[in-house]
Amino acid sequence: MEKTLDNFSIGETGIVKMVAGEGKIKRRLFDMGITPGAEVFLRKKAPLGDPIEITLRGYELTLRKSEAACVTVEVKA
Amino acid sequence: MGVLEIILIVACAAIVIGVITASIIKKKQGKCSCDCGGDCAHCAACMAAQKKKQSKNI
Amino acid sequence: MKRFALAGNPNCGKTTLFNSLTGATAHVGNWPGVTVDKRDGVYKKCAEPVQIVDLPGIYSLSPYTPEEVIARNYILDEKPDCVINIVDATNLERNLYLTTQVLEMDVPVVVALNMMDAVKKAGDSINAKLLEERLGVPVVEISALKETGLKELMDKAFNESKKIREGQTVLETSPLGHLIGDVKIALKGQNVANPLFHAVKLVEQDEIEAEMHKETLPMVEDFKKTYNDDIFGTDFEALVADARYKYISSNFASVLSKKSKDKTQMSKSDKADKVLTHKWWGIPIFLLILFGIFHLTFGEDLLYLGKIFSLPSLEDLGLLDEDGEAINFGVRILATFYDGAVMSPGVWINNVWNDLIVGEFFGWLGGIVEESGMAPWAIGLINNGIFDGISAVLSFLPPILVLFLFFSILEDSGYMARIAFILDRMFRRFGLSGRAFMPMIMGFGCSVPAMINTRTLADDKERTATVRVIPFFSCGAKLPILTAVAGAIVAFFGVGNADVITFSMYVLGIVTAIVCVLLMRSTTLKGETPPFIMELPTYHMPQFKNLMAHLWDKTKHFVKKAFTIILASTIVIWALTHFSFNWTFLEDEQVNESILAGIAQLVQPIFTPLGFGSQLGQYGWVFVVAAVAGLIAKENVIATFATLAACLMAVVGLDFGELAIDAEDGIDAVQAMIQATGITIPGLIAFIAFNMTTIPCFAAVATAKAELGNKSTYHWTLVFWLVASYVVAAIIYTVGSWWWTIFIWAVVCAGVVGCIIWRNKMAAKRLN
Repeated sequence: MEKTLDNFSIGETGIVKMVAGEGKIKRRLFDMGITPGAEVFLRKKAPLGDPIEITLRGYELTLRKSEAACVTVEVKA
Repeated sequence: MGVLEIILIVACAAIVIGVITASIIKKKQGKCSCDCGGDCAHCAACMAAQKKKQSKNI
Repeated sequence: MKRFALAGNPNCGKTTLFNSLTGATAHVGNWPGVTVDKRDGVYKKCAEPVQIVDLPGIYSLSPYTPEEVIARNYILDEKPDCVINIVDATNLERNLYLTTQVLEMDVPVVVALNMMDAVKKAGDSINAKLLEERLGVPVVEISALKETGLKELMDKAFNESKKIREGQTVLETSPLGHLIGDVKIALKGQNVANPLFHAVKLVEQDEIEAEMHKETLPMVEDFKKTYNDDIFGTDFEALVADARYKYISSNFASVLSKKSKDKTQMSKSDKADKVLTHKWWGIPIFLLILFGIFHLTFGEDLLYLGKIFSLPSLEDLGLLDEDGEAINFGVRILATFYDGAVMSPGVWINNVWNDLIVGEFFGWLGGIVEESGMAPWAIGLINNGIFDGISAVLSFLPPILVLFLFFSILEDSGYMARIAFILDRMFRRFGLSGRAFMPMIMGFGCSVPAMINTRTLADDKERTATVRVIPFFSCGAKLPILTAVAGAIVAFFGVGNADVITFSMYVLGIVTAIVCVLLMRSTTLKGETPPFIMELPTYHMPQFKNLMAHLWDKTKHFVKKAFTIILASTIVIWALTHFSFNWTFLEDEQVNESILAGIAQLVQPIFTPLGFGSQLGQYGWVFVVAAVAGLIAKENVIATFATLAACLMAVVGLDFGELAIDAEDGIDAVQAMIQATGITIPGLIAFIAFNMTTIPCFAAVATAKAELGNKSTYHWTLVFWLVASYVVAAIIYTVGSWWWTIFIWAVVCAGVVGCIIWRNKMAAKRLN
């Protein structure tokens, strides 16, 4: 099943399929390692539900839901 | 007025003039006026001034 | 002298390595983006001295943030003899992403595998030999913290720097390999330095590059027309980034052998994180920690033990004589940390420093001066002018250091980055990103580094707004004003509680900052909320050495300031208060005929709406002088109080004798001023608020000027500070004095807010 990263629930893992979004944000996401094929794991959400914290490539990254919406992920069962 | 008082006045004048000239010299040398210790690498003012100096030298 | 540059991801330990190599004490913290500008030092243990340049941490050599551009331009334009690429071994994959970009430049490179100790501790291992083979440049295992492997690293780098290295790319085998090769040859033909690097960037259609090599751009455009990737289409920037990561995961995965670990197993850092950023407890814990810090610094009743158990005071225990003095030296020591309540560590250190060290020392010096047989005016100048001024400033060293220590611990441990994570949602409401929180909290220490740190913010408008409100986060130098005035209010009027007043002034500053940011972001500095994509570092124990280095730096800076600018200012103020316009010497009692009084009385009426203007009568100008002196350095406010109070004591004469309840220079001085001027509590609070929110010190103004870049933005910033402080102080004074004026202010505020909303609606309509 595919969905965008902002719709993930805590504890879900997936493989990045596609990164959309406008130049600057997309580049940043790429530079941080969110590229197709990368495995991401949603660790937790901030107290107010946003931003979210994900684990990828062995480290922790935080991003907002609005930015996470640019990332399409294939959910791993 | 005794010797002590004269020394005092001279010392005070020296401190005030010293502090003022030191800050002026610092600025002229291109170090920042933000008394972060003179050439703090943190400081944009000194960086800009240093660049100016470099370009002058070339 | 050879020059080596340190490059690497944020928070990978570059600055720690820099400090270890050069013996410097540059600021280190456990969150990404502490170093935002390059700095240099000298390493002396090589064959010849080497200059080390610490570059800001970057994830990539893209042109989007100022730090990335600084690092990139440095390597390209200033041509260091060798680049030491620091790679965080605990986070190999993402760190190597930058390495693949650095390797494209025609510069000798040595890779330093940092934090190897942490990798080994986790039971993992990295095959450095294999990594060296694959990268084609020397790889050295080091630990910047424990200072292992540094000599080997520098020797290797020194060797490499003698060689000439040509850039190589991992993109050769990618679909774009051919295009990059062609562009490189074209650029080489034009004699461009670093042809490979520029070729790759040009293919990525990097803004800076496209501007620089317009002639070659059509080549890329032509190729683009014939090419289409299944996933990325013609987005070459994405294609390049993807190719790099693909190369890294396929080639370097075998380098790292991880101890097979259960995914559900939690590290210590995870456990700490689970509590500190908990869904419900995260924010309360953060507030509790902030309160705890202030309590431990200023609380006169630690954990409220005194109130809870109704502990007996020293007087009840019969340890004081009739004058309220301690009966022996032992009791004096006891009094520093106990009097009806156990005092917090901050207060204890403060008491030891002031009662037993500074107080005694200046008392002793003052005694010598008195007996020296100098003329009375000279004794007055030394004792009441210089000594009072300096000791008043020095007496505030302990709270500043203790507060600073706590903030350093928060920063070093990695909690600061989590606060940004927790608060981002709230900050977004005000039109800022959670990242803006870091420079703001740094503002509690000193505005200067805080303003410089705004460089981590990518958006210009967000930066301007943040720089403008940073002074509202009351810095260390403003703390003496708060505690002295708050202490005097409690001592003189017998109301309130000093640490509550101090704490609420901090809160007032924060609230003012929020309101101002909201106003700016919805009027002159409108813009989209900038993105928030940030690495969260692993927690670790704060380094003792590191903390001490921070404290030592701060102390040095503070003491130096006290004996230069502050000393000079006190002398000038003394002179201006003891001479009249026709250069005749005045006694303390004649202070109102002095030059300073003459000038200050002219501007005094301006401050009437703020509660410290004309209504204070003939001596009211002293507050004006203190506020104006504070524009040079905020420490001056309290030094000025001390110098002027000496004159005022002579004026109010005997009254002061009964007043002297507790000996703390600043508090006594303010009490004398209250006695002489009859200023009210709202007036005093307004005075603090004015000082907190007005133009900060010279240093901060100079920094703001440099950071804002644009002249008109800078001038408006000065106007903003003046208006903000005037309005805030006026509101406090009028509402505090006549409660019903709150309605007038409410109407005014509603009007302003209404205007802004209406204007924005009109603008939105026009757009549609």
